[in-house]
Amino acid sequence: MSPQIALATEFAFIVVTAAIVSFLAKQTGQPTIVAYIVAGLLLGPAVFGVVTPGELTEAMAELGLAFLLFLLGIKLQLSAIKDILRPIVRISIPQMALVCLTGAVTTMALGFPLWESVLIGLAVMYSSTAVVVKTLTDKDEATSLPGKIDIGVLLVQDIVVVVLLALLAAGRPDSVVDVGLTLGLILLLLSLIALAAVVASRYLLPVVFKRIAEDREAFLLLAIAWAFLFVFVAETLALSVEIGAFVAGLAIAQLPYSTELQDRVTPLTNLFILIFFVSVGLQLEAAALVVYWQEAIIAAIVLMVTKFWIFFLLIDNQDFSLETTFLASVNMIQISEFALVVGAAAVAGGFIGEPVLGFLSLVALCTMSISVYVISYNHQLYERLSPFFRRWERETDRDVDERAHTDHAVVIGYDAVTRNVIPLLAAYFDDIVIIDRTVDHVTALSEAGYTAIYGDFRHAVIRKKAGLTRASFVLSSTAAVDANKALLGDVGPETTVFVEAEWTGDALELYDHGADYVILSPQLAAERLATYLTWYFEDRSRFTTALDRDIELLADPTQGSDLPLHSQHREESDAWSVDRSGGTSDE
Amino acid sequence: MSELLTTLSVLFIVGGTFVLLANYARLPTVPFLILAGVVSGLFVDERLTLELAQWGIAFLVFSFGAGVQFEAVEPVLGDGELIALGQVGVGGVLGVVFGLFVGLAGFQAVFLGVAAALSSTIVGTALIEQDIRNRLVHGRLAESIQFVQDLLAIVFVLVIGIETVTPSSVVMTVGSGLAVLAAGVLVNRLVFDRIGRLAGGSDELMIVGVVALLVAFLAAAEFAGISIVVGAFAAGLAVRVDPAAYIGVLNGVDSITTFFAAVFFMTVGGLLTVPTPTVLFTAGVLVLLTAIVKPAVTILLASYQGYTDRSAVLTGVSLDQVSEFALIIAIEAFLLGLLLQSVFDAIILAAAVTMISSTLSSRHSQWCYRLLVNSGVLQHRHERVDERSSVPDTLSDHVVIIGFGRQGQQLADRCTALNQPVVVIENDPALLAQLESTPAYVFGDAMEPYVWEKAAIEQATLIVSTVESTRLSEQLLGLADTVDLMLRAELIADALALLEEGALYVTVPDVLAAERLTDLIEAVVEGDRSPEELRDAHRQQLSANIPPERYD
Repeated sequence: MSPQIALATEFAFIVVTAAIVSFLAKQTGQPTIVAYIVAGLLLGPAVFGVVTPGELTEAMAELGLAFLLFLLGIKLQLSAIKDILRPIVRISIPQMALVCLTGAVTTMALGFPLWESVLIGLAVMYSSTAVVVKTLTDKDEATSLPGKIDIGVLLVQDIVVVVLLALLAAGRPDSVVDVGLTLGLILLLLSLIALAAVVASRYLLPVVFKRIAEDREAFLLLAIAWAFLFVFVAETLALSVEIGAFVAGLAIAQLPYSTELQDRVTPLTNLFILIFFVSVGLQLEAAALVVYWQEAIIAAIVLMVTKFWIFFLLIDNQDFSLETTFLASVNMIQISEFALVVGAAAVAGGFIGEPVLGFLSLVALCTMSISVYVISYNHQLYERLSPFFRRWERETDRDVDERAHTDHAVVIGYDAVTRNVIPLLAAYFDDIVIIDRTVDHVTALSEAGYTAIYGDFRHAVIRKKAGLTRASFVLSSTAAVDANKALLGDVGPETTVFVEAEWTGDALELYDHGADYVILSPQLAAERLATYLTWYFEDRSRFTTALDRDIELLADPTQGSDLPLHSQHREESDAWSVDRSGGTSDE
Repeated sequence: MSELLTTLSVLFIVGGTFVLLANYARLPTVPFLILAGVVSGLFVDERLTLELAQWGIAFLVFSFGAGVQFEAVEPVLGDGELIALGQVGVGGVLGVVFGLFVGLAGFQAVFLGVAAALSSTIVGTALIEQDIRNRLVHGRLAESIQFVQDLLAIVFVLVIGIETVTPSSVVMTVGSGLAVLAAGVLVNRLVFDRIGRLAGGSDELMIVGVVALLVAFLAAAEFAGISIVVGAFAAGLAVRVDPAAYIGVLNGVDSITTFFAAVFFMTVGGLLTVPTPTVLFTAGVLVLLTAIVKPAVTILLASYQGYTDRSAVLTGVSLDQVSEFALIIAIEAFLLGLLLQSVFDAIILAAAVTMISSTLSSRHSQWCYRLLVNSGVLQHRHERVDERSSVPDTLSDHVVIIGFGRQGQQLADRCTALNQPVVVIENDPALLAQLESTPAYVFGDAMEPYVWEKAAIEQATLIVSTVESTRLSEQLLGLADTVDLMLRAELIADALALLEEGALYVTVPDVLAAERLTDLIEAVVEGDRSPEELRDAHRQQLSANIPPERYD
């Protein structure tokens, strides 16, 4: 008897090929999405024909899309774009209409029939969330004003995509009236579940997630369960899977745990979406690709240029500065991966044929590849080209220094150590950001007027959010060496960093990594105690004074801050032994 | 939406509800996921998710392998080995014997033995996580035992794959297994960092790379004709990394593992059928073996190796579950038609039950210990304390120091420097050597009356406890009228309570650190001292006198 059970070989092929291609792509600075599609092309009938997608692959691809939209929903924090919401709507709606028109007209001019052109127009009017968000985040520009505008526009686009996908899933309409009815039904159902999500978000989720947030595994599982619940419901209501997932994400977005959750869901999403894009590539026949390659290149160029100008004029119209307008526009010139998603859905619904999907894929691939370079060098481009844009320069603009958190203090972990330090810092810094893993602390601190972030600062998203690179002062009250090393890797050269450690060896290591001071709590406690011991035997009055002062410090709530200190659920481990080195809440 | 997706949706919706319940009851998620699988099994066909469940196995075992830290476990390996082997030996043999006794074929009985022998790594580790972090004795011991058991499980999986037991096939299989494992270690040493550099800091790429590596090893295992479990473990070995450098990757793999592992546990639950009396009986005996016999063996062996009864009991109650490895082995065998449905069911049931019972036993470990002591099963042997202690005949007006870690040692030295007689109380056998170089010490459990007697604690002037145990502190407070007490607490609220009840002083390490910190930070932001100054001064001080470190 042989014990091995063969695992899906096609899944294995897909992952390994995608890995190899994406590593290669990295060397040329290309985004992973492009790499995955190429991997699919290589594996599929277009090139080698090694893999034909089976049920598992298709299911995981579907899962990928659902997770992508779930993640998107989670990121949709309305509060982040509230102040520029109006200009965003004024930019995005006309933009989509104009680009759609351009796309349709261009493709008609290239010889495509009317309906197909319209659909292509509808497919190309989005810019790529994946490319823009990722590239901007990597450059740490996601919170700059151009970045915010772009992300805001992308969010509006995502909502439109979601509705469109639902429409396509409904199948080929019999008439325009049919389209209108379906659309109406979709919007109605969408509002219904959105309403359910909002209600849940207000009343149910905070209660449910609060308890579970401190157990990493359970937290993630519950979030996934929540997503699946909406997916199931959406499917039953004949809406698409993606809408369900998106709304589920929306419900979570308004909770303080959303950032933490993003970090946990992203790896899963990345894995499944990899399969999605590979399967898109798998579907493409060589023939389908080649048919329209010339048209694709022309369309790509036309679209990139037109998109830039449409964005530029619309954003300029909203009175932003020249630099902001230029940067925001140049970031958005690519066609979104949603073009492929829409295309695939359209093929499934019988609206278009495979060759058109091939055309869309080529256009998307071209524009995405080029735009990655454009975004990476957007500032340099601006420097070079700004002389030609003089006539759009304005005297006054509505730019507000939107960059959140500069020259601020960051405190990681709210506990007995940091509690007394925070008021001290408040006297010297206008802006204090506190990261903590206990919900009660975060709530209390927010109410006290500090910026409090719920999350584990081991997660890159949280560190970015706290703006560690631009901080002036950072204090970490976790004794976990790996976390502190990661922290030291992220801070700027001018930042003063105080961290904690338990062991001298760790402390020296942290100094090597650039810490400015390492607090060794156990050592401090030991030294203090040894001194007290001496006084106890040799100078009793001094001993008593010191004691009284310390006890006062313990008991007096106004000495530090009077914010509550949550006494953690701790299993009583009653076998004692070795002095428990006084580490603090480091998880 | 495909059928698979519908099945997954139902699974996760039910699973999520059960996870909530588990969290509410503060019990582990794994058994509840199994239960969730049982419930969803009524609505959906679990066989659809089998493939995903297989990936769950792969990822689970992969994370076991990745979590192996040879360096950390090495020093305490000796302790754990004997106990682990004892557990496995006794548990395994009894399981097999029982199986044969109820009429199962030899091969089936072996699986029962496996189930009885191995202890869970996920549930067990979670139970002792805090204690490992606190470097408490039993945490250390339990960790090393689990490590040895994991290795044994891998060996077993390897061996069970041998088709016909001939010398050549055994050699081939074992050889292939070792080769794959060796490949894992080699990749880790030579190749992994290169992959890291190629990824250029992109977590997404690294995660994809790691998954691809896992897939490659699985393929290698299949090609070599051995179980994928070995391949997955080898892949884990290949990915053992410095957590600080790859924090994002580890988090990412963690998320992926959580997803697939959940599918695995739920699928397992779904494969259960309605239990017959035989199944219940078998499961019951298995539970008995795991929850009673195994801890008993552990306690005996730990005690024999020199650990105090309390440490032994605490170790025992953290290891009284059926392991996920047993589940994995069972499901593999079941799917291949090697295992009867009844035996499979019994093992799964026993696993779910013992995972929950183990959590409860750990939570109420003090009660368990007291029960054993009071019922006379465990007798606190005075001779053992006498053997390993050394105190002068007359003791009075001395200082008693409880706990001989860094702090305790420092304080004992200070007392000697001040010419004050001092007695140290400590229960960790690893410290015996150091204890023996002090003039007066008692080796034993600081909460036992005899130890107090031996240390003449009631005649002392001052007791300094370096241990953060509320129970111990409260017991010591009984002496507050006659002896000065300097205790230790983690939380300010606890400290204030202890002070109220008569302690002279309570150290809360964080508060002391905070005071110093405030002074330093003020100096820095005011500009009185520069960060460079601080850093260089402290660094010098630390390098000059590095105190003796243990378990670094």
